[in-house]
Amino acid sequence: MTDQHPALSLRGLAKRFDTKIAVAGVDLAVPTGSFYGLLGPNGAGKTTTLSMAVGLLRPDAGEARVLGYDVWADPVRAKSLLGVMPDGVRLFDRLSGAELLAYHGLLRGMDPAVVDQRAAELLDVLALSDAGRTLVVDYSAGMKKKIGLACALLHGPRLLVLDEPFEAVDPVSAALIRDILHRYVSGGGTVIFSSHVMEVVERLCSHVAILAEGRIKRVGTLTEVRGDRSLEDVFVEVVGGRTATGEELSWLSR
Amino acid sequence: MAVPVTVPERPARRVSSRHFVRLKLRVLGNNFRGQKWRIALFVLGLLLGLWFAAVGFFLLATPGLADEPRYALMVAAFGGGLLTLGWLLLPLVFFGVDETLDPARFALLPLSRRTLVTGLLAAALVSVPALATALTAAGLVVSAGLLGGWSAAVVGALGVVAGLLVCLAGARALTSAFATMLRSRRVRDLAAVLLAVLAALLGPLQLLVLAAVQQTDWDRLDGVARVVGWTPFGAPWTVGVDVAEGRPGAAVAKLLIAVATLGVLLFWWSRSLESAMVGAASAGPSRAPRGVAGGAVTQLFPRAVGWARRDRFGALVARECRYWWRDARRRANLITVAVVGVFVPVMVNLGGVSFSTEGGAEFGGGDSSPALVSLSMIFVGVLASLTLANQFGFDGSSYAANLVAGVPGRVELRARMTAFSIYVVPMLVVIAVALALFLGRPAWLGVMGGALAAAYGCGLAINGFVSVLGAYSLPESSNPFAMNSGAGFTKGLLTLVSMVASAVVAVPFVVAAALLGDVWLWLALPIGLAYGVGAALLGAYLAGDTLDRRQPELLATVTPRR
Repeated sequence: MTDQHPALSLRGLAKRFDTKIAVAGVDLAVPTGSFYGLLGPNGAGKTTTLSMAVGLLRPDAGEARVLGYDVWADPVRAKSLLGVMPDGVRLFDRLSGAELLAYHGLLRGMDPAVVDQRAAELLDVLALSDAGRTLVVDYSAGMKKKIGLACALLHGPRLLVLDEPFEAVDPVSAALIRDILHRYVSGGGTVIFSSHVMEVVERLCSHVAILAEGRIKRVGTLTEVRGDRSLEDVFVEVVGGRTATGEELSWLSR
Repeated sequence: MAVPVTVPERPARRVSSRHFVRLKLRVLGNNFRGQKWRIALFVLGLLLGLWFAAVGFFLLATPGLADEPRYALMVAAFGGGLLTLGWLLLPLVFFGVDETLDPARFALLPLSRRTLVTGLLAAALVSVPALATALTAAGLVVSAGLLGGWSAAVVGALGVVAGLLVCLAGARALTSAFATMLRSRRVRDLAAVLLAVLAALLGPLQLLVLAAVQQTDWDRLDGVARVVGWTPFGAPWTVGVDVAEGRPGAAVAKLLIAVATLGVLLFWWSRSLESAMVGAASAGPSRAPRGVAGGAVTQLFPRAVGWARRDRFGALVARECRYWWRDARRRANLITVAVVGVFVPVMVNLGGVSFSTEGGAEFGGGDSSPALVSLSMIFVGVLASLTLANQFGFDGSSYAANLVAGVPGRVELRARMTAFSIYVVPMLVVIAVALALFLGRPAWLGVMGGALAAAYGCGLAINGFVSVLGAYSLPESSNPFAMNSGAGFTKGLLTLVSMVASAVVAVPFVVAAALLGDVWLWLALPIGLAYGVGAALLGAYLAGDTLDRRQPELLATVTPRR
């Protein structure tokens, strides 16, 4: 029955912090098998939206469903289908890479033998096995992103929610992450990730939503949103930025 | 017209301590914004501080107010010395230091070391404990003034200011030196031992105070006070009395001692500050042994947890075990428990003994009793479990992983209790056995073990609730002693609530020990064990339910604000 449902559906999600409205009613349907990009400037509410979608932050209003299961009413079913890589959240970083993977696997109720095998494979593919027993806290930023991705993938989720997976990642690692995600989607998985790097989104995504000031401004397949222009032009127009004229900050030039 | 970046139009204004103080006030103020309960807690903390300050003030001013110059020097030397010692030891052992202004944040600014250190010291003055200490010490000024007139009061005030600065600088220097040592992977175990020894100083100190109270031989104490007055601990506090008693030369010399101490402490602090600023950016690579044995799961489980099933519960226990040792903040807490857990019962139970033989007949026989032993064991058990009062705060935002995986609250809490007990229970057993042998009463072991087990189990249960309902975030700093501004009082309040609650639940054991006599020697252990284990399980069951309902809120409260 889950196949009739979108992989992730958000309805009227809203969140207010003190006086600031972070997310003002977000509706989104992420079709199964899609590669979905959530675009937005800094502070648009991307992280808040995704946190509410995966059960890390309780929404003030609205609902989130993963393959039909309500994240807040039936968290156990929903969370078992989810793989999450949050941004700005520490991993249990005083474990080594292998220990961290084992922890995540067992926490998901996986068979120890399967955990061992998958962990070894993931560490190999992500080029993390050389790190040996180095604690994750001593990893570089790119390595931390990769081990975070491995933790999210380990239990073979149906939906992968990634917050800023390409931030602070060098080109080599980024290419590797892209390949892995591609393979995951072509194998029937669904990915939604947030980013503000247009180039990555244009290359990867089948669907795009642009979020600004807590609202969805544009949504649809990449070609629908982009039209015949570049995604960056659309984005800047939607978000409404300003360009430097050259008059200000004159003291910057010698 | 374009002006080169490198040449500012006019010389930059000098940064002075004033800026640091204003920055601190601003940060404190912003912390309160929109958080009514924080304001309430702060006001409560302020009132409590003022209350203690008022009590201290009158204690220190007594010689002047009662016109008893005989005791003036003694009160100044011992009172001031205690203040200084408290400032040095308590942050290390219990409270941590307020790191509202994290030195690491200044690493990139072009500030000289001198500016930074004096600025941070000035900012440290703006805190409730510093204020309370200043008020307390004002009692000395009043006392000196009443006994020796204006000149004594003025010199006394100078001394008090110097003393306060010595306290602040000492606390900072000591914590930041230890933080550096605990961070370094090479000497951190040595640091742990040193810390233990320092905390152990609390014991003899208590003996000294007890002796002071019991001794009627004032002349001998007076001699001790004179000596203490010449050490950095007592020097700044006794100058007022010296002037009042007509020794201006001694006062000048003591002021010089205080200033020199301050200089040395500031120099020491600035040295370790530098390493803290650089160290925050890179803690250095850890050792990475080649031969990795076994699969990922085998690596996760430490040998002590080898018995655990390889499932969710086992994984939680294994990870917690690794964390209690690998996380400097948690390790510092464990060490505190070990040290205080040994010394307090020894002091409580032996204190009486040593004084009865030496000081006089006041403590009838001075022997310990099963009730007294039970009481001290309850204290140890409660204290040990107290470490878990902010167990989720230790994790910070990493707790999100458990939330995403949907770990049930009961499993979570049971696993955390189990992991902590793997460290603490052996420690408690050693404490109980050692104390029983020390007292020469091996027959009391059952009573002690029973009280200990009951108190520890009740404490675990209570702290399960406290950790879910009263969690607060800890700064993501590499300094294990760092506290968020305002968190100090929250911590104190929660500590008090949880200690009282746990002790109340465990009190039947003291009563039973006092009333039941010899039968209890045999019954205590099995009943205590059952009571403790039962309480812990029930606590995990009920608190786990609460946890299930507020997991996201808990994550939000333990995630440090940035």
